[in-house]
Amino acid sequence: MNPEEDRRWFLAGARQAFAGPAWYVALSLMSTGALARAADMPPGAAMLATALIWAGPGQILFFGAIAAKTAPATIAFAVSLSSVRLLPMCLSVLPMLRGERSRRLTLLFASHFIAVTVWTESLRRLPEIDKARRPPFFFGFALACIGLTTLTSGLGYWLTAAVPAPLAAGLMMLSPIYFLAATARAARDGSDWLAIGAGAALAPLTQIFVGGGFDLMILALVGGGGAWLAGFYARRTAA
Amino acid sequence: MSFDPALSPYLAVILIGFLPSEVWRWLSVLVAHRIDEDSEFFRFVRSVATALLVGVVLKIVATPARELAAVPIWARSGAFVFAAAAFFAFRRSVFAAILAGEALIVAGAWWWGR
Repeated sequence: MNPEEDRRWFLAGARQAFAGPAWYVALSLMSTGALARAADMPPGAAMLATALIWAGPGQILFFGAIAAKTAPATIAFAVSLSSVRLLPMCLSVLPMLRGERSRRLTLLFASHFIAVTVWTESLRRLPEIDKARRPPFFFGFALACIGLTTLTSGLGYWLTAAVPAPLAAGLMMLSPIYFLAATARAARDGSDWLAIGAGAALAPLTQIFVGGGFDLMILALVGGGGAWLAGFYARRTAA
Repeated sequence: MSFDPALSPYLAVILIGFLPSEVWRWLSVLVAHRIDEDSEFFRFVRSVATALLVGVVLKIVATPARELAAVPIWARSGAFVFAAAAFFAFRRSVFAAILAGEALIVAGAWWWGR
């Protein structure tokens, strides 16, 4: 693999990000700038939070909790709990990026960029790309997303208040619609669709019967595990 | 911890935002180098992450903040149905789904927010 080729795939990744995904995540996290302002923090803190935390729910929780003068240890715990979901997301992308020559450090660096946007787009795009070309493509894509979003979360400090209410509601709904659509787009087989359906069906049930911060973990293990098991037996019978 | 997050904002972002969130990514790297992308465990994790994402999204929509809360729950759900219809009508187009869902939400927020 030569550097010229690497650069080409890096740029291809960035281009695909700027064709849609980078804008969706950048616009939906613009509001974190306004949340930083409400928490009496500078716009730079909103930008640093995007570049470092890079997980929407965690960032929103962080600024919301600081505005509410929550104890630091409690904030750290809540943010960590909201980011547990990054573990299965990283685990379902990193093996696709790992080559025979790839170092642990490269994977560590790659893992930082994995949050919903990069995860769901990776699930869909990486399998179609030659294994050696995946890392440069991935980094181009991810850096475009995180770079643009870092900018907009700073801009949001000043701009969010100027957005009319109906558009603000639209911005708040942007990532939920985009995330679901992108996940459906990445679905490859029956068990993917089953996992989506199970997640939707279990969401109200776990919200009512589990709660307490563990509802999503139960939902994921039962719904996702069930979907995998169904796929496993289907593949077995077919084989 | 004795520091005031509002006085040292950048330190706060690193200590109680970045680090507690990032440990899960670090942990994944420790395990990931042993997982094969064709293995059943990899498929299992993929399913778990997918179900989890749907759960997270539905939770956001079920318990909305500020401007979005002005739109009734059935209209918020309607936006998803509309988005899904556009998604499949335009051969699994993510962009069509966003356009359709957003149109409904912005119109709804305008209507109920008058």
